[in-house]
Amino acid sequence: MNISLFKTLGIVNCCIFKRVSIGSYEIVYAENEWIDILLPHARDENKFIAPCGSPFLDDFIAQAEEFWELAHNGRIESGIWSETIDEQELKLNAYATSDDNDFYLIIDNIMEQYDRRQKTLQSARELLLSNDKIVAQQEYIHQRLDELLSQSSTLKDMQQPITEVIEKTEVGVAILSPNLKPVSQNPALYSIFDTHLASVKTEPYELILELFEKQYPEFERVISTGSRWSGELFWLQPPNSEKWLKLAVYPVKTDFQKITHWVFIISDISQVKHLLQNNEKLTHYDALTAIPNRQYFWMQLEQSVNNAVPFYLLYLDIKNFKRINEVHGHSRGDKIIKELVERIAPHVSNGDMFARIGGGEFAIIRQKTVTQQQCIDLGNILIDVATQPFYLPNGAHCEVGLNIGAASFPRDADDAETLMKFADLAVFNAKKLEKSSVQFYSQKLKDASQRIIELESALQTAIANHEFELFLQPMLDLTSGTILKAEALLRWNRFDSERIGPDEFIPIAEQTGLIIPIGKWVISKACEMISTLNHRGHSCKLSVNLSPRQVGDRNLLTFIQTEIRNHHIQPNQLELELTEGVLVDNYDRVQFLLTEVRKLGVSVSIDDFGTGYSSLSYLKKLPIDHIKIDRSFVQDLVDDENDRAIIMAIIAMAHSLKLNVIAEGVETELQRDFLQLNHCNLAQGYLFSRPLPFMEFCEYLSNLTNQTLIDQSGHDLK
Amino acid sequence: MIQKKICLLGASGVGKTSLIKQYVEGIFSEKYLTSIGVKIDKKLVVCEDDSVQLMLWDIEGIDRYCGFQPKYIRGASALIIVVDHTRSQSLVEGIEIFRLARDVSDIPAILVINKSDLNTAWHWSDEELLDLSRPFSHTFRTSAKTGENVEQLFSVLAQHLLSEAGR
Repeated sequence: MNISLFKTLGIVNCCIFKRVSIGSYEIVYAENEWIDILLPHARDENKFIAPCGSPFLDDFIAQAEEFWELAHNGRIESGIWSETIDEQELKLNAYATSDDNDFYLIIDNIMEQYDRRQKTLQSARELLLSNDKIVAQQEYIHQRLDELLSQSSTLKDMQQPITEVIEKTEVGVAILSPNLKPVSQNPALYSIFDTHLASVKTEPYELILELFEKQYPEFERVISTGSRWSGELFWLQPPNSEKWLKLAVYPVKTDFQKITHWVFIISDISQVKHLLQNNEKLTHYDALTAIPNRQYFWMQLEQSVNNAVPFYLLYLDIKNFKRINEVHGHSRGDKIIKELVERIAPHVSNGDMFARIGGGEFAIIRQKTVTQQQCIDLGNILIDVATQPFYLPNGAHCEVGLNIGAASFPRDADDAETLMKFADLAVFNAKKLEKSSVQFYSQKLKDASQRIIELESALQTAIANHEFELFLQPMLDLTSGTILKAEALLRWNRFDSERIGPDEFIPIAEQTGLIIPIGKWVISKACEMISTLNHRGHSCKLSVNLSPRQVGDRNLLTFIQTEIRNHHIQPNQLELELTEGVLVDNYDRVQFLLTEVRKLGVSVSIDDFGTGYSSLSYLKKLPIDHIKIDRSFVQDLVDDENDRAIIMAIIAMAHSLKLNVIAEGVETELQRDFLQLNHCNLAQGYLFSRPLPFMEFCEYLSNLTNQTLIDQSGHDLK
Repeated sequence: MIQKKICLLGASGVGKTSLIKQYVEGIFSEKYLTSIGVKIDKKLVVCEDDSVQLMLWDIEGIDRYCGFQPKYIRGASALIIVVDHTRSQSLVEGIEIFRLARDVSDIPAILVINKSDLNTAWHWSDEELLDLSRPFSHTFRTSAKTGENVEQLFSVLAQHLLSEAGR
């Protein structure tokens, strides 16, 4: 070992020992006095023996011995540790090296590096803790208020508990009515805005709304769609007051998604901003990902507008990012964000800006003149890289999706704010789709989103206004020709007599959560219909469709039990229909639910079979009674040999699994004959009957019964 | 006298160092000073006619700047997972750290919910907490500032270690 080389290189603040035998280490280099603190007799004896008295070093030496036993060339590191001996403090790091059967232990005194590292980490962690604390405080207040405000009691009853929650918190809280009028504002809110309860010209809530509206183009969309939102506001009150504020906006909604209140929670984050601004890089760049932040993005967007050269603005939003943070924790959420940025960055052209503009939101300014198709291509590449699995340290993996909204300058808007507003609207529409997609702003999209908002609002009152109706479509037993059951299909006749198709309103109900009360209405109504049919002497099972969101509803099972009991019907008169997608996406939940409903006696069928991505193992593992062959196979079976082969295979497979098969969309006799010949159990379609209002369905059953009786008596006569 | 290695783990800023400082030296500082690496303190606990020397490994907070290091829990007899009840996130992280530690060792673990002198500001209900604390051999609500339950935490731990050692 060349000691003079160490000295020349300035690597002198370390001590080096050579391992002579297990637990015995001879000094190679130990010029520094600090080693006397750690190993008091080593320099006198020119060696030391383990254990040496330092628990950390002894622990590392034990690891080092194992490493040396393996005799692989290389080194291992202990990591930093602190020793306080006789009031003297050391900051050390140790290494064990192995080089062709020469084994060395190096102890490095890192006092200087330690101080530097601690200074950096101190401010980084203070920032992290401040941020964490603000988020936690806001979430806590939100959760407490949400619990209170969601109760159906009057505001007067809630006044006391609300006051208890918000009076003492240091977080500013404003509770507003659905039309943004103040219900309650706490003292902390007044103090954030340096106003006093007695003498205020502008109420704090007005200031918040004004700042939010002026600084964020999203304001209008957030309010009109009743969405959650969070972001930062800058408040300037000349001559000497300026503050950075973190605002979280939460709508409080009933089960019917009607907004009862708005909760605005605000924290002063000027201190955090000040810490950030100490580091110039952090004022323009996001601390986690090192890409430009929202402030820098806005500067660049305004610059691009001033340059007056056409460009596209892409708004990227990670699908269900909130849920990822909830399930996997923020630290993993952070890792996913970092990795996502690393995946996206290589696809962003030089000169284009890629910025993080929110928690799970990013933006790209495509500076060069590009076509819409080129933007779609880029969007699809980004979706592709984002949807590759993210592997977590525990070996598990998770997948994210990406919603992309795009707006074009100057075609869609010629100022930064409107452009951003339109890109936000486009991404909001992309969010409504289950799969990741790129959506461009257009007048049509604006109209469509207004239509959605209108329907959302109308859906909230549709049950109360008795606008829903259940139609029943019979299913015919192909062997006996009798009607054994019918599918309950929901119809919405608006009070203005407009009939809205289920394809249009079911996705909105699903998206907003209204599907839960609507789905309950369907189950309840179906049970009522079964009861009426029983009284009329018809024994007919009804099947109702379950949506993905209903499957996740923890109260569903109890609700079904109660409805069956209340309507005095047999559980086996009710059937639940689920699509393949629901099985795949919520397997554990579905397995639990289906097992429990089967215990009750309710049967289960799989709808649209063959169109999703069912694994056959699901069919084997899950308690299922029937599968329904999708209409698309039935439609062309007469002309398409492949469809015939698929139907035959499905029937054979289902029968071998002891499942019944129902064919949907049967419209011709040829189709019926083929299905009958191939032992399909039941058929449903216009050939037998269109979906019928309840009274017509009852008549249909009566006519069929009479017809059968006539046929039977005729037969008898013969 | 037996000697036992105890590792304190948790997210940064939950008060691991403060808990040890309160226990070993009986002092508390309001100023947050982030720990780097590992610092070991010793404390002799006398239980009736026996005693145990606790080697308390104060390990740097686990966060985006410092990952979980399984090597530090090698040879440990127990883990103390510290969380801060003013920050929900610290519990999520604490449970995750516990899970990572469980992958390499099945030694007993104690859940410590620190900063009980401050108002609770997290959304975990008592039922959820009970559920989350089930895999832990004990759960304590402590305050490194007032000393609430600190002595008791280590005393219960010491008794547990002595009884495990058959003494």
